[in-house]
Amino acid sequence: MIPALLLSLKLALASAGLLLLTGTPLAYLLGRPFPGRRFLESVLLLPLALPPTVLGFYLLVGLGPEGPLARTLGISLAFSFPGMVIGATLFSFPFAFTAYREAFRALDPELLATARTLGAGPGRRFFRIVLPLVWPGLLSGTLLGFAHALGEFGVVLMVGGNIPGKTQVASTYIYDLVEGLDFAAAGRASLALLLIAFALIFTVRSLEERWKLSTASGDRSS
Amino acid sequence: MEVVYRIRRPIVLAVRFQIQGFTALLGPSGAGKTTVLKALAGLLPGEGTPYAGLLPERRPIGYLPQGHVLFPHLTALGNVEFGLTGTARERRERALALLERFGLAAKAGRYPHQLSGGERQRVALARALAREPELLLLDEPTANLDAPARRGVLDAILEATEAFGVRALVATHDPELAQAADHVVVLHQGRVLEEGDPLTVYTRPKSLAVARLTGFENLFPGQVKEHRGGSLWVETAAGRFYLPHPPLPPGSPVVLGIRPEEVLFVREDRPLDPTLAPNVRPGQLLRVRPRGAQVAVRVALRGLSLRVLLPRHVQDRLRLRQGETRRVVLKPRYLQLFLPEEEDSPSSLSSS
Repeated sequence: MIPALLLSLKLALASAGLLLLTGTPLAYLLGRPFPGRRFLESVLLLPLALPPTVLGFYLLVGLGPEGPLARTLGISLAFSFPGMVIGATLFSFPFAFTAYREAFRALDPELLATARTLGAGPGRRFFRIVLPLVWPGLLSGTLLGFAHALGEFGVVLMVGGNIPGKTQVASTYIYDLVEGLDFAAAGRASLALLLIAFALIFTVRSLEERWKLSTASGDRSS
Repeated sequence: MEVVYRIRRPIVLAVRFQIQGFTALLGPSGAGKTTVLKALAGLLPGEGTPYAGLLPERRPIGYLPQGHVLFPHLTALGNVEFGLTGTARERRERALALLERFGLAAKAGRYPHQLSGGERQRVALARALAREPELLLLDEPTANLDAPARRGVLDAILEATEAFGVRALVATHDPELAQAADHVVVLHQGRVLEEGDPLTVYTRPKSLAVARLTGFENLFPGQVKEHRGGSLWVETAAGRFYLPHPPLPPGSPVVLGIRPEEVLFVREDRPLDPTLAPNVRPGQLLRVRPRGAQVAVRVALRGLSLRVLLPRHVQDRLRLRQGETRRVVLKPRYLQLFLPEEEDSPSSLSSS
């Protein structure tokens, strides 16, 4: 159980880092209107409606030994950890992205304009105004992405192949245990995941509350 | 200080006006008040003087946008300190002194959501003043505030302009604020219609649009009849009235205006100045009802409906009652003449 759980955590951590790195600039850019925004947003949110097996299938084909990546660069990521990270990141993207987008949307452009008139240059505006106001949103989105990647099953199964000791994560490990009728071990592993998931979601909710409070510049009643 | 600005986006606007002490920028919503302030702050592209070509960071201005203006994650003190330079200790001392000046020293550690609307505006004003700007740009600083909070903000603006010697350009449609200003600029559809001291703008507006904005609730279409003895005689639906005015060609369509608080009732127990007689009319009191400490009266004058506002002590003497007929006098010195605006001149002519 321990190697699978550790791999799950490693996968979730790598995915969360990748989400923060790619999702934040995308959410920031998509905060303002431009042609094709709705299309791009729909593509990014597609995993919400897609069966994990479908996404996993395309990834397997795309990243596999016959895929374009293998043919051009000679890299095959199927049944490997990096391939699983890509899969889990894509599948968790809508969750993190939506939270990031809301964080930037809640940022009042008048505050930045006012900061400019108070002599603050771009760096000062980013570190003193933007970052303090959006970080709870970014953190809660990243945690949500982390939690989602931690529990991912379908895509990870398709892309990783559930190879024990190599690409077997907690969720696929539990699946194997149940298949093998080892309900006691499955129960222990499930409980561990349940507790971790609860702690993560609880943290996200607490952050959201705190965030609402810190951005409530309006009525005291709000 | 003279402002000459030309702006193309988001609306086309070309303005030229003076800023003297506390200057109110008056205008209906959509007139371009916010655009003028933002262009002066450098937040919108514009050409002209002063400051054009400078980044907002380099302009000697203090800007207060409309609505929620404070940094929500900083305390009142942190907000005021934001624009200051120097050591932490210097910034803190200077910010505290400013907060004290505006009666907010006890609230220095509070966050914006823990402050009232009026307190937030005063903190924002202190923050804008911290960098010792030469011009304050305030966008509707009294919007959504109750009367005592509005007065507090007005006092703070007066404190800023009088004690600190800063000029302020204040976009507003709060008449109380505009009337307290040193100078009023009326903006309408992207241009300046009129500017001057508040007394002149409020009592002798030059155009119908300004009259409407400044509370001329009684505006009657009419026609010039003749010029006799230094007075102009104007025919309206309620007959002929005269007022001191230079000659105009007979037959010219005009609009006659009078403020509701400047319509007078004749005291029947006293002799009437005979020179006023042509401007006296009997009228039926359609409605008499209190409006705060005043009394609002609606009078039907042969074809015209007149709004009158009386102080309570006058009503105590007159004892006006709904339904009765009383004589009103439109004193020549309170009557104002306007040229009709293009779009409503044909209809007003046909109705007279």
